[in-house]
Amino acid sequence: MNHGLDPWAVSRRWFLGRCGFGLGAAALAGLGAPLPGAGATGTRAPRRRVRNVIFLFMAGGPSQLELFDWKPELQRRHGEPVPASLLAGKRFAFMDSYFARKLSLLGTTRRFARHGERGTWVSELLPCTARVVDHLAIVRTLQTDVPNHGPAKAMLNTGFFRYGRPSMGAWVLYGLGSESRDLPGFVVLASGVRGPRGGALNWNSGFLPTVHQGVPFRPGAEPIPYLRRPAEIAADTEAETVAGIAALNRERLAATGDPEIATRIAQYEMAFRMQARAPELLDLQGESRAVLDLYGVEPGQPSFAANCLLARRMVERGVRFVQLYHTNWDSHGGPRENLTTDLERVCHDVDRGCAALVLDLHARGLLDETLVVWSGEFGRTPIGEPRETVGRNHHVEAGTFWLAGGGVRPMDLGRTDELGYASVEDPVHVHDLQATILHLLGIDHEQLTFRHQGREFRLTDVGGRVVGKLLG
Amino acid sequence: MAQARLALALCLALAAPARAQERAAVDFARDVHPILVRRCVTCHGPDTQRAMLRLDARVPAFAGGRSGKVIVPGDPDASPLVQRLVDPDPRRRMPRKEAPLPAGEVAVLRAWIAAGAPWPAGVGPDVASAVHWAFRAPAPQSPPDVRDPWVRNPIDAFVLARLRAEGLPASPEADRRTLLRRVHLDLTGLLPSPEEVETFVADPDPDAYERVVDRLLASPHYGERMARAWLDLARYADSDGYSIDAPRVMWRWRDWVVRAFQEDLPFDRFTIEQIAGDLLPDAGDRTRIATGFHRNTMTNEEGGVDPEEFRVEAVKDRVNTTATVWLGITLACAQCHDHKYDPFSQREYYQLFAFFDDADEHDLLVDAAAVRDRKNRQQVAAASAPVLRQRAQPRDTRIQEAGDFTRPGAPVQPGVPAALHPLAPGAGRATRLDLARWLVAADNPLTARVQVNRLWLRLFGTGLVATDEDFGSQGEAASHPELLDWLARAFVADGWSHKRILRRIVTSATYRQASVARADLSARDPANRLLGRQTRLRLDAELVRDVALCASGLLSRGVGGPSVFPPQPEGVLAQGQVERKWVVSRGQDRYRRGLYTFRWRMTPHPALAVFDAPAGVETCTRRTRSNTPLQALTLLHDEALLECARALAARAVRDAGGGDAAIARLFLFAVQREPTPRERAVLWRLLVQTGGDWTAAARAVLNLDEAITRE
Repeated sequence: MNHGLDPWAVSRRWFLGRCGFGLGAAALAGLGAPLPGAGATGTRAPRRRVRNVIFLFMAGGPSQLELFDWKPELQRRHGEPVPASLLAGKRFAFMDSYFARKLSLLGTTRRFARHGERGTWVSELLPCTARVVDHLAIVRTLQTDVPNHGPAKAMLNTGFFRYGRPSMGAWVLYGLGSESRDLPGFVVLASGVRGPRGGALNWNSGFLPTVHQGVPFRPGAEPIPYLRRPAEIAADTEAETVAGIAALNRERLAATGDPEIATRIAQYEMAFRMQARAPELLDLQGESRAVLDLYGVEPGQPSFAANCLLARRMVERGVRFVQLYHTNWDSHGGPRENLTTDLERVCHDVDRGCAALVLDLHARGLLDETLVVWSGEFGRTPIGEPRETVGRNHHVEAGTFWLAGGGVRPMDLGRTDELGYASVEDPVHVHDLQATILHLLGIDHEQLTFRHQGREFRLTDVGGRVVGKLLG
Repeated sequence: MAQARLALALCLALAAPARAQERAAVDFARDVHPILVRRCVTCHGPDTQRAMLRLDARVPAFAGGRSGKVIVPGDPDASPLVQRLVDPDPRRRMPRKEAPLPAGEVAVLRAWIAAGAPWPAGVGPDVASAVHWAFRAPAPQSPPDVRDPWVRNPIDAFVLARLRAEGLPASPEADRRTLLRRVHLDLTGLLPSPEEVETFVADPDPDAYERVVDRLLASPHYGERMARAWLDLARYADSDGYSIDAPRVMWRWRDWVVRAFQEDLPFDRFTIEQIAGDLLPDAGDRTRIATGFHRNTMTNEEGGVDPEEFRVEAVKDRVNTTATVWLGITLACAQCHDHKYDPFSQREYYQLFAFFDDADEHDLLVDAAAVRDRKNRQQVAAASAPVLRQRAQPRDTRIQEAGDFTRPGAPVQPGVPAALHPLAPGAGRATRLDLARWLVAADNPLTARVQVNRLWLRLFGTGLVATDEDFGSQGEAASHPELLDWLARAFVADGWSHKRILRRIVTSATYRQASVARADLSARDPANRLLGRQTRLRLDAELVRDVALCASGLLSRGVGGPSVFPPQPEGVLAQGQVERKWVVSRGQDRYRRGLYTFRWRMTPHPALAVFDAPAGVETCTRRTRSNTPLQALTLLHDEALLECARALAARAVRDAGGGDAAIARLFLFAVQREPTPRERAVLWRLLVQTGGDWTAAARAVLNLDEAITRE
C-alpha cells in the first residue's frame, strides 16, 4: 500500500529511545535534529555530567515551613491577623474574601536545628535528611503558576498547567535515549495512601512518540504482572514467537504507516528482555543486610524506602529516569491531612529512604552521575487554614525542593521574606528547575523541541533559565 | 495631537475635579481601551469572563454581564463600570483585591462615558458575545454547500469544507474487511464471523453497509458496548473502595444500563431515570434501579471514620460527576471557592449539592423471595439493588466554608447556576426530578453537545472538543464548531436517540475513510484534528479480552448477570488491606466479556489495568491509550490469552485441516483478512521452528498490534 510514507523514516524517529543506547545527544544529531546546545547563536553547550535522574515527587505539596524554612519572625507573630498585603490580589486554592478576614499567621510547632557544615536549618521531622544536608542543594524559593494539585503537578511534570504535554522523563528519553536494553528508560514507582492525582498523565509522552512514556511498576510483591513466562511455554518457543510477532508487526507498519506499531514492536522487544532482567532487578535478597538496614527495607514489603532502593538498582542498570511518587503531603488540617500526626507519618515514610538513597549512591560512586530531585508541586502558606485542625493552604510563591548529586553544588539557595511568604532572593520557577535539570543532563532546554501542530514545543514552555548558582 | 495628550496628562496629574476632566478630549483607542485592557481583562477578558462580563471587546462590553449593562452612555454615575471602581466597600470595589484605580484613570473612563461612550469599530477584538460559546445554545447550522461525490451526508459537508479550506483531500473509503471489522468493534465490541465477512465482501447492494449497521444496532451486544463507556462515566465498580473495599452488588444497575442502550431509551429519559427515577410519577423498580448511577460512589467502612464526612464526600462526588458527565464542566473547585475561570459560584455549587443532599442511600429489595425464605444478611444483600430515595424532610443544606463540612455557612436551597438556563418553575422546593429535567431541557446549551462529542470521541479517537470533560473557558475550542452544533441539534431532533445519531455518524464518508497514514496529513495534521482520514485506535481493555475470546470461539455470549471471575495471577488481591478471594469462574462464566469481569476498586484485574481501564474511583470521560511493555507481557503470558491461543489453533486446524489454509484461518478469525505471502512465510517459519506448534502461531496472531487495534 502506498501512503507516501517511508515506514522506517517514521519508525527511526520513533525508535530514538531504542537506537540511542549510550549515544547521548549524538542520537539527535544523527537524525538531523539540532544537537541540543549547538544552536546557531553560539549558545554554550552544557557539559554533561548526569546520566540518570531519580525524581522523588512529594505529591500534595510538602509544608516547607514545617521542614526546611525556619522563620523566627513567623513564630513571634503567630496568631496575628494576616497583613492585608499578603492577600491582596493573590490566588489561592481554598480562599474567598468572606473568610479571608478571619485568617491568622501560623508558626510551626516543630523544632528546627542547624545541621552539617553549613549549619543548614532542618526540622526534627526529617532527622535522616538532616544528616545528609552536606550533600544537598536546598532551594527555598520554588515558584509555580497554579494553586491546585492537578494543574500544579502538570506544571512540574510537563511545564504546562493543562495535562497533555510530554512529561519530563519523556523529554529526557526523547533527547538522550535509553541506556538500558533490558529495562524501560523511564520507570514510575508509587507508594503512600494512593497514587498521584492525574495518574498516567503525569508520566505520559504527550505528542512525543509513545515509546518514551513512563512505565509504572505496581507496589507489592509483583511489581510487574505477567512477567514470568508460563511453564508450558518453552524458552525457545517464546523467543521465536516474539520474533514472529515483530516480523508480522513490521509488515503492518509498512502497510499502515502508523507509528504506534513501531512503539508496539519496541515494547515487545523490551518485554522479552525484561523477562530475563527484571526478576534480578526486583529481587532485593541480593542486597547486604547493611544496605537493607540503611534504607529500613524488608524484602517483599512495599514502601517508599523499598522504591528508593529499587531506584538505585535501576540507575545502576541504566534506567534513565526514575520517578517516585509518595502521597499524601496535602496538610490542610482536615481529616488525614493534619500538621501533627499525619505530617509526622508521611515524613517518617520518606525521610530514611531519601537519606539512604543519597548516601548509598555516594558510597557507590554513583552520585556524580545521578541527580536526585526532591520536590512537591508547590509549597504551603505561612497563614493558618482552619479546618478540623489548623493546617496550611497551597502556596505558589514559595516552596522548598532539594537536589543532590549530578555535580550540583551543595548549598542553601534562595531566601523568603521574614514570614516565609514571598521569595525575595533567588526565586526559582518550576521552569527554571526544569531548565536546570536538562542542563545537568547536557541538554539546552531551549533547543530540545518538538514540532507539533504548527509550533515548536519544549518542556519549559516559553520560560526557564538555568540556575547557574547551583552548578558545581 | 501631542498637545492634547499632554493636556490630558496634565489634567490627570493634577487630579482636578472630575467634572472638569470630562470636558477634556478623550480618545477611546488611545486613552480608554488601554485602561480596560490593563486593569480589567484578567477577569473580564478573552480567557475569563467573571460575572459573564467581558470588557476588551465592543459588543460584549455594551451587552454587560450577569447583573445587566455596565455602561450607560452619557451617564457615568449610572454606569456600574464607574460605580464599582469607586465603591467604598473594598469587597465590591474593582479591581478585586487590588488597589483602587488611580483617580486619573477613573476620570478618563467617566469622561468617555459622559461623551456618549463612543467605541469605534476596529478597536479591540471583534467578537459577537461575552458569553463563552459553550454556554450559548447550539445555533441552527446548514451544512456547507460542498459538491463532491465523496459526500454522503451533512457531516461530510462540514468536514470536507474544512479540509478544502486547508487544501487537503479526504481519504477514500477503507477496504470492506477493515470497514466491517471497524464498525463491528465500534458498535458491538465483537468481531464479525467469517460468514459475515464473506457475505459483506460479496454483497453488491449499495446499501449493504447500511444494512450491516442496522443489524449491529439491533444486536444485544450493542447495549454491552455502549454500556461500558457509560460505566466509565459512572465510576462503576463491584466493590466499595477505600481500604476495606468490600464487595457490593452493582450488577443490576449495570444490566439496567445495558438494557437501556439496547432498547434505545431516549437520552433525556435515560438521564431522568438515573438522576431521579424514584421521583417519577410512574416510578417502578426499574426506574428506581436506574438511580444506582449515583450509588457508584465509594463507601468507607473503615473503623473510626465519621460517617457524615464520607456521606458528604459521596454527595460532592454526585455533584461533580453530574456536572462533568452531563454538562462537560469541572465544578469540583467550586466546593471551596468561586470557580476561577467559569461563571459558577461556591453558593451555586451548594445549591446543586442540596438536590443530592435531600436523598438517602437505600437498598431496594428486588427479589422478595430472598426475605420470605429468611436468608442471611449476605443473601438479602445479593437480592437488593442500591438506589437513591428522597428524604421525607429535606436536610438543612449549607455552604461549606473552604469545602469543609464541619464549617457550615449560609443555608442554601436547591438551585442551578445562574449562568445557565433557568430551572422550570415548580411548586415548592425543587427536587432531583427538577434537576434531571433541567439537565435535558430544550434550552440546555451543554448536554446534547457534550454527549454527541463523547460519541464522536469513541468513533474517531478525539472529540470535536478534545477536552471532552471541560467545555468551559479553560477547555479547548471545537475543531469543527458548526458540525458539533449540527450534531447536537440532530441528536435532540431525533428524540435523543443514540441509535439514530450513531447511524448518521457511522454511515458518513468521514467515518468510513481509510485510517492509513498519509504523508501530507502527517506533516500538517499529525493529531488528525481535520479528519482527513480515520484513526487506528488500540482497543479498550475489555475489548482486548473480547477479541481474543471471539477469535478463539470461546466467547460466552450471555448478556447480564452477576460479575464473574476469569483467571488472574496469584497475589493480586493480597495487596488490599483485607485480602479478598478470587475463585475462578467455571463453565461458561470463565469466558464472559470483559464487561462482566468483577471490578475490585483497590486491586483491579491487572490485565484490565495494564490496558488503561479506569478503577472507578472517579468519573472517567476519556481513557488514555498507553502502549507499554507491560501490555506485551500481559498478552504473552495471561492465562486467559493462552487458553484462547490454544482454542484458536484448534479451531483453525479443525476448520482447514492444517497447512496454508489453516494459516489463512488464523488470520481470518483474528483480523478478518487474508495474510499476505510475507505474513504467511513468517508464520510458516514459526511453525517450522517450533516443530509444528499451532498454538505458538495462534498466540503470535493474537498478539499482533492489528489484533488489538480498530483500524
